[in-house]
Amino acid sequence: MPNRFQAWWQALLPRLSGRGNPEGPSDLKTMLSHFQAVLDCNNQALEVMTDMGEKLGGDYLFDVNYTQRAYDALSGHIGGSLRHFALLTGGRYPQLGEVQARLDVLVRRMLTSAGPPADRLVLFYDEITWDLAEEVGGKNYHLAELRNSLKLPTPAAFALTTAAFDLFVRHNNRLAARLQDLGSTAADIDPLLPELQELVRQGSFPEPLAVALEDAVGRMRSLQGQECRLAVRSSAEEEDGDFSFAGQFGTVLNVPCTLEAVQQAYKEVVASLFGSGSIAYQRHLGYDPGKLRMAVGCVAMIEARVSGVTFTASDGNREIMLVSAAWGLGKAVVDGFTDADLYRVRKGEAPEIIDTRVGRKEQMVVNLPGGGIETVDTPAGLRGKACLTEGEVLELARQAMLIEEHFRTPQDIEWAIDAKGRFFLLQSRSLRLEGEPAAGEGEAAGQAAPPVETGQPVLLRNQGLVVQKGTAAGPVFILRHADELDQVPQGAVLVARNDSPHFVRVIPFLAAIITDVGVPTSHMASICRELGLPTVVNAGNATALLPPGQEVTLRAGEEGEVAVHQGILPGLLRQYRQAGIKMRELYELRRQKYIMRYIAPLHLVNPLEEEFAADKCRTIHDLIRFMHEKSVQELVAKASGAGRGLTSLLRKSPLRRLQLPIPVQLLLIDIGGGVSGKGETVEVDQVLSPPLRGVLRGMTAPGVWHGGGMALRGKDLLAGITRAAELAEAGGEAGSNLAIISGEYLHLSLRFGYHFNVLDSYCSGTPRNNHIYFRFVGGAAAITSRSRRIQLMADVLAESGFILKTKGDLLIARLSNLSCPRAEEILEQVGRLIAFTRQLDAVLDSDEMVARVARDFLAGRYTIPS
Amino acid sequence: MSNKHKVMIIDDEKIVGDMAKLSLEQEGYEVEAFLNGETALARLQGSPFDVVVTDFKMKGIDGLEVLRTVKKLYPKTVVIMITAFANLDVAIEALRDDVHDFFPKPVKIKELKASIQRALEKRKDENVNA
Repeated sequence: MPNRFQAWWQALLPRLSGRGNPEGPSDLKTMLSHFQAVLDCNNQALEVMTDMGEKLGGDYLFDVNYTQRAYDALSGHIGGSLRHFALLTGGRYPQLGEVQARLDVLVRRMLTSAGPPADRLVLFYDEITWDLAEEVGGKNYHLAELRNSLKLPTPAAFALTTAAFDLFVRHNNRLAARLQDLGSTAADIDPLLPELQELVRQGSFPEPLAVALEDAVGRMRSLQGQECRLAVRSSAEEEDGDFSFAGQFGTVLNVPCTLEAVQQAYKEVVASLFGSGSIAYQRHLGYDPGKLRMAVGCVAMIEARVSGVTFTASDGNREIMLVSAAWGLGKAVVDGFTDADLYRVRKGEAPEIIDTRVGRKEQMVVNLPGGGIETVDTPAGLRGKACLTEGEVLELARQAMLIEEHFRTPQDIEWAIDAKGRFFLLQSRSLRLEGEPAAGEGEAAGQAAPPVETGQPVLLRNQGLVVQKGTAAGPVFILRHADELDQVPQGAVLVARNDSPHFVRVIPFLAAIITDVGVPTSHMASICRELGLPTVVNAGNATALLPPGQEVTLRAGEEGEVAVHQGILPGLLRQYRQAGIKMRELYELRRQKYIMRYIAPLHLVNPLEEEFAADKCRTIHDLIRFMHEKSVQELVAKASGAGRGLTSLLRKSPLRRLQLPIPVQLLLIDIGGGVSGKGETVEVDQVLSPPLRGVLRGMTAPGVWHGGGMALRGKDLLAGITRAAELAEAGGEAGSNLAIISGEYLHLSLRFGYHFNVLDSYCSGTPRNNHIYFRFVGGAAAITSRSRRIQLMADVLAESGFILKTKGDLLIARLSNLSCPRAEEILEQVGRLIAFTRQLDAVLDSDEMVARVARDFLAGRYTIPS
Repeated sequence: MSNKHKVMIIDDEKIVGDMAKLSLEQEGYEVEAFLNGETALARLQGSPFDVVVTDFKMKGIDGLEVLRTVKKLYPKTVVIMITAFANLDVAIEALRDDVHDFFPKPVKIKELKASIQRALEKRKDENVNA
């Protein structure tokens, strides 16, 4: 036997030499150690993030000292990840270091309460990058985001920053002094407000601000024409963020684009900060009077033919959008004084209008030629006439869906269409859904609490880990496949087998999440904490215990107690809400929590999407996720490369042959701890590498390995002949079946006939680090049959929770964040699938057959249909 | 006169006072928060509090001085110390000086509440037995 093997190997060597890259096993070993280091550092970072999320969540008294120390630790771990990641990837992602440096500046600035640098007084929207939210205020920031990230049409615009505001205040001494007094006086400040407003209106512009503004106004005129007009609007620090400040501040419309007119309007808008109603609202949100800083936006006016507002959720239903529209400027719709047209649109790949209600629209708002606006009677011919075409409604719907998806919460969007039919987005902010208490609407402390229900049947008790405490109720939705996410109803309690960052897009609409498996440091967990969504992971058999559709109330307590009660229990819910809302409104707490904005949110969700790029990272969480995914990919590539460069591999590690009870030649390279014993051949029970053990158990399972190949039918045979050359070109390993393994790692390349399988898996004691990556390509059959086999494999893999991508006869499946035993179990299934589907494509005649075979396979029946 | 228990919070960081005030008020306590020992002790003259929760390390009058002054003025007032710098010596010294409890920051609000409640119950029992 050994001789025959040697001979076979000798014959193979010349064909392999000279191909691939020169990675040796020692290199691969080093790479594996960098990979482990990236994952370890990432985990430590995630643990700190988890702790910060918990401590800053409102249940702890903490001081800035804590935040500082925690951030230092976080920053240290990320530094470690970045270093090892750079070594692993040969420094191919220099952008990550840049992102980290920018984040660091932002967070440290917040920790030291230092404002943004005072050098940027005016910023055009094109210049507003993701890290400038504080400078330009919420409203400017969001609109610029639509323009820059989503490439949606917005009018030309620029922002006067909070630094400009500071400069303006400092320059006007009396105003600055009065503001100082305002902060220190305990007396009723209302009588002081008119004077403050007057001081703002009388204020003069400091030289640098006047110069910068004059430049901007000039540039605007050259962009938009000499006659262009501006809407000058407030954009305060938190405006359109957690708090809408809706209607609190001034807006001046149709302002001539001259330095004098814009200065005037600017002062008018800034003065609105000190209106008595506005001050009361600010106080309510915990701002000491005079503390809130205001940026201002100057947006080119649109000669609007039609304007309106789109809500991306309606009547608490996230499937239905509501578009309201009226002739002329949007003020008529926003202020609600005209009987606008209403269009209800069902979301989806192809949105559809469900119903249309045409309003009378007796009045409309128009720009006045000399500046300012006016409400006029709508011309008779336009009243009662629908102001949008079906195509326009659908285009608005499409844009609104994009925006909602981007901000991940339902949106309230203002838009306009001009006489030429061009669309413009004017504003987008979070839409508060019905039933969700708005800030400040919490029940007064001391109000008699409703009785808390007792004695309700408990469906699940004290199972799982509390990720985010809270009490929430809704119908149970059991998620079996990732692609069922679209069916999760609004307000559901999502119950899933695994946790997944893919849940991000539905999280804002859920009442709670419970998973059978999972860890509190996962990506999903940190998003749930960030959004305050009651979440329990690792609850064991929740998917089995909780009946689909059953209404339940989840109570996830501070001390980790978990109870899922049957039915919706209003008393319990109210008791919980009372405490939470007030705490959220504490200014000092919000201020600290803002740091988390640059840490916790996750923008990079799906590694199979184009958006998954280094330059799209905007938070520490993004960096972690990006490095994790790319590390896996890098390892797969390095291991494949090492597989191809077998000659250099062999210099250091002996090549060994695995004795299998099935007719498969499999060579092993052990880079440490993958097998026990020495010798050229290895018995199956000598394999120590858990992922390889799993796969082999599956491949050799009784009944799945069918001897011989299925006879190819006529056209398949032809297709097979031509495909062989193609596939070899595409990187086939010249018949080599190779496994590179360690005590925790497996990289397996398998070729059966025209099928190429690559399986890469890491199985350690830390579930978060573990992954399975499976790629399948090829097949000697007509493309429809090949696609059917891919479909079959996808159906089976989805059942194990894989995230899948298929294209023609290529399938990529990945799964991460799972315990080692669970990974082994899944790898066993993958092994069965690899063996079973070897030549299945030739016999898959119909889509029905695919479904039937998949069902049989999942049920443990491995019969090849004849 | 209100029959609510009066609690004083002293911490030089506003966020601590704000959060403690809000959470303890929800439990029905009457709460006042101070940013330094000086103003807090001035407030105490002639006006006893049931509980004083104080930061240990503050500029000027620090937590230990607050503790000693409070105990001299009102021996029955419960004093709870919180500090970011957990240090055994400090704890021992504070405990010798009859501090009711000692928490390193970040401190779980629920534990602080429980501690206050225990102290007040214990004091009630002592009064009954006295």
